[in-house]
Amino acid sequence: MNPAMWISKTGVQAQDAKLQAVANNLANVNTVGFKRDRVVFEDLFYQVERQPGAQGDDGNPAPTGVQLGNGTRVVGTQKVFTNGSLQTTGQTLDVAIVGQGFLQVAGPNGRTAYTRAGQLQVNTNGQLTNAQGLVLQPEITIPANATSVTIAENGAVSATVGAASAATELGQLRLANFINPTGLLALGDNLYQETAASGAPNEGVAGLDGLGKIKQGALEGSNVQVVEEMVDMIAAQRTYEMNTKVLSAADNMLQTLAQAAR
Amino acid sequence: MDALIYTAMSGAERVLRAQQVHANNLANADTAGFRANLELSSSRQVEGAGYAARHLNQLGSDAVSAREGTQRDTGRELDVAVQGQGLFAVQVTQGGASREAYTRAGNFTVDADGQLRLGQHAVLGEGGAITLPPYSKLEISADGVISVRSGDAVELQQVDRLKLVNPEFSQLRKDEAGLLVARNGEPLPADASVRVASGRLEGSNVSAVEEMVSTMNLSRDFEIQMRLFKSADTMADAGNRLIRE
Repeated sequence: MNPAMWISKTGVQAQDAKLQAVANNLANVNTVGFKRDRVVFEDLFYQVERQPGAQGDDGNPAPTGVQLGNGTRVVGTQKVFTNGSLQTTGQTLDVAIVGQGFLQVAGPNGRTAYTRAGQLQVNTNGQLTNAQGLVLQPEITIPANATSVTIAENGAVSATVGAASAATELGQLRLANFINPTGLLALGDNLYQETAASGAPNEGVAGLDGLGKIKQGALEGSNVQVVEEMVDMIAAQRTYEMNTKVLSAADNMLQTLAQAAR
Repeated sequence: MDALIYTAMSGAERVLRAQQVHANNLANADTAGFRANLELSSSRQVEGAGYAARHLNQLGSDAVSAREGTQRDTGRELDVAVQGQGLFAVQVTQGGASREAYTRAGNFTVDADGQLRLGQHAVLGEGGAITLPPYSKLEISADGVISVRSGDAVELQQVDRLKLVNPEFSQLRKDEAGLLVARNGEPLPADASVRVASGRLEGSNVSAVEEMVSTMNLSRDFEIQMRLFKSADTMADAGNRLIRE
């Protein structure tokens, strides 16, 4: 059969995958702490049918060879860890990380999960949790009679407890960073998990050792650029179309061949 | 059998293969740093007495287009695009042996050990593979020098410099993995005049219009070859009938 059909198929599939990523990015344009996905393509292996420089007529080396490609493939999706825009919300328990780093929560499977979404909540035990109710690590408990909770740039959480006039320090938010954040496994729910590709987490105090600062009363928005996604979508759609055109051209050629043989 | 049908066959065969080249180019219209393959056909004389008037077709397709792809801003510090002519160097390890290959793709990543990578290949610097310390800020200057700020340091510290080469594109071919290599297989020397820009990514240099037009052309060309098939068949049939009647 005509190999051009299989090659065009890989192109159509690749654009399909891209459209899926674009759709997911656009759906998450208002998700706090969301990082956009980027699909990475690579050309498939080449069949070398005749090596350039092979002996040709009269022992002269052939100046060109025949190399036929086999299409494209999706190597992977890459999370793009650029910073999203900051929104000031004025909420006491909203925190944004300005710079690199992740908040740590006790994940559902007993492993630590990492997140950049800083919509913190307090559960019934007074513990700080993320929006899904997963407890923040290290644990910080806010007493029931605490007023005016303050989170400093370095992550120190303090509050005025009861009738006391001075603020009491309740704990310290710590951030973790990875040498290759792109290698983190996205779990959904704005959570990431450590993998062999991301490397081990480097835990530290916010604002030190390259970690970002914590801003209270602000949230980091999604880093999806709507216009960019729309342009990507148009490009994906048109490339899809052109690949199907080659597919039908290859089909037509086979049809003429079948008719000629009749 | 009449020689015409074999000559027409070599033409039809060439069209099918050339179609494969264009299908591959279009399938990679969105692959970062992809360089289009060019196909060209040449005539080859059939050797032997009495064949002097017969020329079959021969396809060549390992030339690579040197046209520049479109660039776009991504804002990611590890996305690098070559400005003008030039290539990045990467290390390909195959069965324990490693060799150098070249590419225009600049969507680098850092692996768990801090090594700068392009896909599964290590990116080469002045002294081999580039390893980055943990950093909070990374800058790649126009001449490919990578500087990072690590820990609490105030100043950027120079780590390495990307190996950039600038060969003639006619001296390059693609290897099986689609990376560019020199035709003579030798590693290329670094060229200090190549310029890069960080935060940008170069797309594929495939021209969709050209590929579509070529596809249409080939499709019609194939139809003509099929006509020749048919007339060769009719002629042979006429000959057979002459004997029968």
